[in-house]
Amino acid sequence: MEAILEGFKNAIYLLLSFDKEIYSIVGLSLYVSLASTLISSLLAIPFGIILGIKSFKVKKIIVRGLYTMMSLPPVIVGLVIYLLISRSGPLGRLGITYTPIAMIIAQICLVTPIIAGGIYNGTKEKGEEIKNLAYTLGANKIQTLFLLIKELRVYIFSSIVTGYGRAISEVGAVMIVGGNIKGHTRVMTTTIAMLRNMGDYEMAIAIGIVLLSLSFIINSLLYKLQQED
Amino acid sequence: MNLNINNLQKYYEGQPVLNIENLTIQAGSLLGIIGPNGAGKSTLIKTIAGLIKASSGSIYYDNNKFSSKIQKHMTLVFQKPYLLRSTVFNNIAYPLKIRNVERKEIEKRVIEVMDFIGIESLKNQKAWTLSGGEAQKVALARAIVIKPSLLLLDEPTANIDPNSILVMEEAIKKFHKENNSTVIIITHNLGQSKRLCKEVAFMNKGKIIEIEKTDRLFNSPKHSTTKKFIEGEIII
Repeated sequence: MEAILEGFKNAIYLLLSFDKEIYSIVGLSLYVSLASTLISSLLAIPFGIILGIKSFKVKKIIVRGLYTMMSLPPVIVGLVIYLLISRSGPLGRLGITYTPIAMIIAQICLVTPIIAGGIYNGTKEKGEEIKNLAYTLGANKIQTLFLLIKELRVYIFSSIVTGYGRAISEVGAVMIVGGNIKGHTRVMTTTIAMLRNMGDYEMAIAIGIVLLSLSFIINSLLYKLQQED
Repeated sequence: MNLNINNLQKYYEGQPVLNIENLTIQAGSLLGIIGPNGAGKSTLIKTIAGLIKASSGSIYYDNNKFSSKIQKHMTLVFQKPYLLRSTVFNNIAYPLKIRNVERKEIEKRVIEVMDFIGIESLKNQKAWTLSGGEAQKVALARAIVIKPSLLLLDEPTANIDPNSILVMEEAIKKFHKENNSTVIIITHNLGQSKRLCKEVAFMNKGKIIEIEKTDRLFNSPKHSTTKKFIEGEIII
């Protein structure tokens, strides 16, 4: 218990002293998570909405596949991406192994199904009604899509936040494809895992506090939006 | 808007739900459609609105097939209307916004229609705080704000109080009179069809059994099933 409290005190000191290493790790974590969430959102929003409002033959299979992908084990995703981008892999020529790009790709694979699944569930509930309303008021396809996004904004936003939560807290996939290289691919979660192995609890707790604070800020934002709507 | 329906059929999983040989609705009509549950009334109105694709047959709107241009001249009010998650004003303004009407004109027309239906006090109220009757009035205001050539109403007063029903009926009558639009209303309220409609069609098992001037249909129905329905007897 004493060690934890000591670690906690030192962590606050480290944070207030604006330790360069901590802040570069935090910066890279934010960059990788935000970039992957943004790209995932661009893919998942139209996909989730279209899946929710359209009826077609293989829809049930696609939905089942989507739900399965929502719970993909990160280490499996990391391993597959690693095999694809490693030197001997089919995408080895790109030379992106152990780079933030590889980490972003791995997170996109994990986050896109989560966002798409959340949006699909919201759209399934209300999408048909909104689409019919737009149609009977004279909206064209683009106007209908915009109306759907606007009306389903709570589902979309909460799905994005859930996806972001997954991205920023993820450790397995980014460890495999990023390699946890200091100053290059070291993010908060991989640092915490590494520091624990090294017994450096002060730094681990400091980064843990930042990670928790970021989660708290994001969840507060989500809660506020849900209250408003 | 003139409507010409020919050999219109709709099947769901092989079962016929709509089978209309010939139906002509003249421009400026105020037609009521009555009939038991499952008669195909809503399917017919949704097919006219373009929401449901017919299995076969055709509908001509002023001698034209359905197109996005036709779609812009008609509106449909649902039994349970969906109101946008915004203010009453924004709900009514939506059809004008998507038609690129200027902001000042939108303001003017929304206020006009709110006044027309008597809901001006609700202007800034959030849609989800409205009662059922208020929500239905907002849905009607939103449907008539563009002055459609064809107004379709699918049981618009089914779940509201008697006073709101009368207000809605007056608004529909006034709108029809002032704009000479074609209005088709599905209703289970026989009194409402008597008060409101010039003509009434009786539907059963996907077919139009009888279509007549309102007085004639209620006073001397030609078909025995129509008579039974009007008199409140069980129809098999």
